[in-house]
Amino acid sequence: MNWELMWDSLPKLLGGVPLTLQLTGLSLAVGVLIAAVAAAARLSDNLLFRSAAWSYVFIFRGTPLLVQIFLIYYGLGQFDAVRQSFLWPVLREAYWCAVLALALNTGAYASEIFRGAVLSVPHGQVEAARACGMSRWLAFRRIVAPQALRQALPAYGNEVVLMVKASSLASTVTLLEITGVARRLISQTYAVFEIFIVAGLIYLALNTLAAVAVRWCEKRLATA
Amino acid sequence: MPSAPISSIPAVQVDDVHKRFLALEVLKGVSLTAHDGDVVALIGSSGSGKSTLLRCINMLEAPDSGRVVIGGEEIRMKTARGRGTIPADPKQVERLRTRLGMVFQNFNLWTHMTILENVVEAPIHVLKVPRAQALDEARALLDKVGILAKADYYPGQLSGGQQQRAAIARALAMRPQVMLFDEPTSALDPELVGEVLLVIRKLAEEGRTMIMVTHEMSFAREVASEVVFLHQGRIEERGAPAKVLGDPDSERVRAFLSRHLGG
Repeated sequence: MNWELMWDSLPKLLGGVPLTLQLTGLSLAVGVLIAAVAAAARLSDNLLFRSAAWSYVFIFRGTPLLVQIFLIYYGLGQFDAVRQSFLWPVLREAYWCAVLALALNTGAYASEIFRGAVLSVPHGQVEAARACGMSRWLAFRRIVAPQALRQALPAYGNEVVLMVKASSLASTVTLLEITGVARRLISQTYAVFEIFIVAGLIYLALNTLAAVAVRWCEKRLATA
Repeated sequence: MPSAPISSIPAVQVDDVHKRFLALEVLKGVSLTAHDGDVVALIGSSGSGKSTLLRCINMLEAPDSGRVVIGGEEIRMKTARGRGTIPADPKQVERLRTRLGMVFQNFNLWTHMTILENVVEAPIHVLKVPRAQALDEARALLDKVGILAKADYYPGQLSGGQQQRAAIARALAMRPQVMLFDEPTSALDPELVGEVLLVIRKLAEEGRTMIMVTHEMSFAREVASEVVFLHQGRIEERGAPAKVLGDPDSERVRAFLSRHLGG
C-alpha cells in the first residue's frame, strides 16, 4: 500500500466533493418536488393521475439508474426533435442529464415513501379534522403532513444516503465528481486500490454527516 | 334542569335519508328531528345503520337521497359521475360542521399535539379565534371535563377515558349548537365508562342538544328525551325513553332489550 500516494490523492479527490454535493443536493431538491407531485397523484381520486404516477414509479424504480443516465445522455440526443427543442442546451450537458436522471430516480422512490407516510396517518384523525370544519387542504397541512413527515423521515434519510452514493454514476458520463476524479487519477497512476479506498472514505464521511443531519431532524420533530 | 329555548326551527332535521354501501342498503329512508335541548339516543344492534345515520348528519357519509337540514339550512347535494351523491358546496358543509361537535368511538385525537393543542387547533385555524382567547377557553373546558392537569400531555399518555373527555372538550371548543356522539364509551374499559358518561350527563343537564349512538341503555333511559331504535336501516320504534326502553310495542325492541339488559 502506497501511503504517500494516498495522501497526495486526497486533495485532488476532495476537489470532486463540491460536484458530488451539487449533483446530490440538486437532484434531491428537484426529486422531492417530483415525489410530492407523484405521491399526490397516486393518492388522488383521478384514475388518469393515478395511473400516470404509477407508471412513472414502476419504470424508474424498476430499471437501473445507470441505464437511465445512459438513455438520457446518449439516447435523447439522437432525436432531431430533442436537438432542435429549447431543452437541448440543457440536455446536451452531461451535468444536467445526470441531475435529471438522479432526480427522476429519487423522485420515484421518495414518492413511495411519502405515499406510505400519508397512508400511515389513521383515517380517523382526518375525519376528526374534517368534522371540525377543516377543509381538505387545512386538514392535510395541520394534521396529516406533520405526522406523515415524522413517519417518512427515517426512510427518506436512507434515500439521501443512497443518493450520495448514486451520484458516483455521473462519472460514467464524463463528470468529475469524486468517483470521476478517482478514475482519472487511476488512469494516470494505476493505483486502483489506494485511490478507491480514499474515495470510499470520503463517501463514508459525507454519509456520516448526512446521517447525523437526518438524526437531528428526527429528534427535532419527535414528540415527547 | 334549565329549560331549553324552544325554537320552531329544528337544530337538526333528517328527512327520508337513504344510504347504500355497494350492494348493502344501510339506511332505507330514515327521518329524525332534534330541537334545541333535545337529547336523542340512537340504539339498535350493530349493522342497524345508527352510526351511518349519525355520520350523515355532518356529511362524513353523504346520503344517496333525502335531506339533511342543519338549523334551517339544507345541505345542498349534487350527483358526481362515479362518486354518487356528494355535497354540492364543500364550503357550506365545512361551515355547517363547525356547528356540529362530533365525538368518535376511538377518540381520534391528533397524536402529534398535546391535549391543549388538540382543543385549540380548530378554534384557531377554522374559527379564527385569537390564540390567547382560545387557550383560555380550552383550559376552562379541560377543567370542566376534569383533565386540566393533563393539558400538556400527549394523547398517548392518557387513559382511554381521559382521551375521550379530551375529545369532548375538543368538540365543545367549537361552541357547537349540537353534539354528535358515536358510541362514545364503546372503546373504553368498563371501569372508565363512568367518567365519560358523567361528563355527557353534565352536558345534557346544561340543556345541550345532543344526538348520541349508544349501547348504554340505562344511561339512555336517564338522559335521553327521545329514544330511536333502528333495525336494518329503518326506524323500528321511537318515543320517550320510559316507553321504548320500558314497555316497547315492537317485539324486536323487546328481544334487543332482553339481550342488553338481561345479560
